Amino acid sequence: MNKEFQQGTMGAVIQSSDTGQSYWTLVKRQFRKNRLAVWATRFLGILIFIAVFGDFIAGDKPIYCKIDGETYFPVLKQYAVDMGWSTWSSEFVRKSWREHNYEAVTFPLIPYGAGQLDLDNVLKSPFDNQKIESTRWRHWLGTDKIGRDVAAGMVRGTRVALVIGIVAMGIATFIGLIFGGVAGYFGDSRVRISWLELLFGLIGILLGVFYGFIVRNYALTEGSLVWELPKSIVIFGVCVLLCISLAKLIHLWRPSRSKFGLPLDILIMRLIEIMNSIPGLIFLLAILAVIDQPSIINVMVIIGLISWTGIARFVRAELLRVRSLDYIEAARSLGLGDFRIMIRHALPNALTPILISIAFGIAGAILVEAFISFLGVGIPPEEITWGKLLNISRNNINAWWLAVFPGIAIFLTVTIFNLIGEGLTDALNPKIKQ
Amino acid sequence: MLRYILKRILVFIPTLFAISLLAFWLSKVAPGDPVMSCNPIDEAGFEMTRALYQEMYEDMGLDKPLFYFNFTTASYPDTFYRVSGRYHQQALAKLIDQYGNWPLIQEYNNALESFTHSLEQLPETIDRNTRTALRRPTLLLFETYDDPKITNLLGQIQQKANNPKDSILYSLIADEALTLTDSYAAVKARPNQLRQYLPRLSWQGFDNQYHLWITNFLKGDFGKSCRGGRPVWNRIKTPLFWTIITSVLAILLIYFLAVPLGVFSAAKKDSVRDRFITTLLFVLYSLPTFWIATMLLVFFTTPEYGMDWFEGAGLGRLSSDAPFWSRFWETARHLFLPVLCLTYPSLAFVSRQMRGGMLEVLNQDFIRTAKAKGVHKQRVIWKHAFRNALFPLLTLFAAVFPAVVTGSVVIEVIFNIPGMGREVVSAIFAKDWPVLYTIVMLVAILTMIGNLVVDILYAVVDPRVRF
Repeated sequence: MNKEFQQGTMGAVIQSSDTGQSYWTLVKRQFRKNRLAVWATRFLGILIFIAVFGDFIAGDKPIYCKIDGETYFPVLKQYAVDMGWSTWSSEFVRKSWREHNYEAVTFPLIPYGAGQLDLDNVLKSPFDNQKIESTRWRHWLGTDKIGRDVAAGMVRGTRVALVIGIVAMGIATFIGLIFGGVAGYFGDSRVRISWLELLFGLIGILLGVFYGFIVRNYALTEGSLVWELPKSIVIFGVCVLLCISLAKLIHLWRPSRSKFGLPLDILIMRLIEIMNSIPGLIFLLAILAVIDQPSIINVMVIIGLISWTGIARFVRAELLRVRSLDYIEAARSLGLGDFRIMIRHALPNALTPILISIAFGIAGAILVEAFISFLGVGIPPEEITWGKLLNISRNNINAWWLAVFPGIAIFLTVTIFNLIGEGLTDALNPKIKQ
Repeated sequence: MLRYILKRILVFIPTLFAISLLAFWLSKVAPGDPVMSCNPIDEAGFEMTRALYQEMYEDMGLDKPLFYFNFTTASYPDTFYRVSGRYHQQALAKLIDQYGNWPLIQEYNNALESFTHSLEQLPETIDRNTRTALRRPTLLLFETYDDPKITNLLGQIQQKANNPKDSILYSLIADEALTLTDSYAAVKARPNQLRQYLPRLSWQGFDNQYHLWITNFLKGDFGKSCRGGRPVWNRIKTPLFWTIITSVLAILLIYFLAVPLGVFSAAKKDSVRDRFITTLLFVLYSLPTFWIATMLLVFFTTPEYGMDWFEGAGLGRLSSDAPFWSRFWETARHLFLPVLCLTYPSLAFVSRQMRGGMLEVLNQDFIRTAKAKGVHKQRVIWKHAFRNALFPLLTLFAAVFPAVVTGSVVIEVIFNIPGMGREVVSAIFAKDWPVLYTIVMLVAILTMIGNLVVDILYAVVDPRVRF
């Protein structure tokens, strides 16, 4: 819904104006006038900081410690261990981090890991008497029913939420740019092909599917997808290109008489309509249900794959407008290739308004992530997210802190992105320029 | 106009076709063996024989080709779809992908089938443990395609079956076990790589699973649920009823509240009240429904915090023979919070749009003219401006409807209302694919019809729209 939210008010890109200021300076100045949006951007900076340095803010390992004269940086070392570059020596595996005899130690601000159990303090509210050594170890936001620290979970959740929101929207933007760009720039008549090229193109697609995917089925399903999928895509592309070049070769020898426009716009708009006929969340659930292994990556990819339509429509509308502008005509008359014009000259002009769509889209994706992890579909059980914390509160109705804090986090994050989207809308709206 | 409507309806058909393909494909790649997951006979402690499995497999129509045509490598046989069992079929397909020599793989498969049959026929006198020790690796072989694993399983079988000390067993199955091992060795020894690279496109006729599914679907027969084997329709008709009730209530509320709110804040633009309404609506829009719903449920329905003013989750416990009005009252009280949660996000959205639309119209010349000639302010707003700002509200319906449907998934789960949303989630957890994909199809069709109606209405109402 977010995407439609703004489409009405989105107008033309502000042309670099007579005042001699660059477009971006103007946009920035407009954006700064919106106090809320500026605050939202600052807040976003904090959120990103928490997401990036989450391990230094909340965790059961000290950031720095000194044992028997030796200095360690356990949080940093954990990264090395995760990458497989290093291993923990046995003393650290045997003992928990609290039990060492430190000469000096700095624990993170929240000295609990997100998944760490504190069985002494189960389902404690922030104001309850907690069984702790000192205030340093207090669970400031309470604990859940197996003694996990809520604050630590919230810090971990920040990372998951931002990563999912941003990566999913990145995927959606990529797909949306391609589809929207092609539909808007080429329309229904700019790509002119002959029947022979169409026929060979279709054959090329069939062969590409065959050699790229059907023949390589075993490699794709048994091997690692990261390597095999790009190979398959390359094979597919080569097959299609070869067949089309073959048709072009034949045309060199015997030119075609009739050419017609390939209705790319109609095809892509149909595809978008199909995607939009299934309400997003139900679509997402229906696909997630099919996937055996829950993983964050799957969730990101699927959210990206189903939410590109808004951006594509946006880009299409922008390019429909841009493509008839004089400078594009000039580029065409200079003999530049269509793809070059589209990517180098047309799309950059359409990009800024898309930022709005992306901002709202990230808000939507974060909301969707929170909801599916709330339901417990698609997110791996060991991952801690805001939605999951919220879900725990459903079974512990008297634990208000489990409902309030993660909810506020979701609300704030979503609002931040919505406010940035609003701010951008205003800043890019030429009507308010004066 | 008629032509436009006809054209829109014609476009409807390919879209529906594409969505049905998607739903069908998803239901086919969904995890789990459809026979085993839909017929949970394991609980009865009854061992399923191959023959029984095959019978059920055919009962469910799974022995038919998937689709009208098939696009594979030339090393696959024409009638590959007849191989029964999802994982068995998968394993054989992967063997073909590896070795490409179907005749030999078929021989290996036949040897495996007949060996299993012999195992099932073993007399009772043979030790139960021995039988299980033979049976387990054999059944695993049906689903294995990885060479080291197969070799290992075959080794286990050989070790038991080819043991001359156990003379009865030896005389009964040793030969067959040997044939099995030999046939697998033959598959490995003579691979046929060339056929792997030849495409084959074959027509499989109308008697295929997709065709049957979609024709039955269009006739209103949605198949059988995997939970208890009831028809899907029986399972989803009550949920459908509740979802329609809540959605219609919510949509009505949205429009009844949003329109006056939007008009009011547009008329009083930049006043304190307008600022208040606008800010409030923006905050509402950003509040995640499932959080608000959870909070309402936590704080206002439990005595814990002394604010249990509303009824909790569910629809109440009055039996169906209670008087209609008391049942009605009970349900209404239970539906209050859920409908509220369904309403507020779209309410914020629609009234914002209404305000924007009104502002745009109010800035136009004819409004200034109307004001200038002394028309009463109320009349200008309602008679002149409102009518013109109304069109966008219609198109908004296309956005509001899916939003409400999506919202109802969330709300129904949280408030435990037996609607479609809760049914979707419970179908996912129960791996009840027929129910899940029927609902997906129905919701898609409903959304498409909604869009269609909006488009047509728009063309009817706005004389500028002509196609």
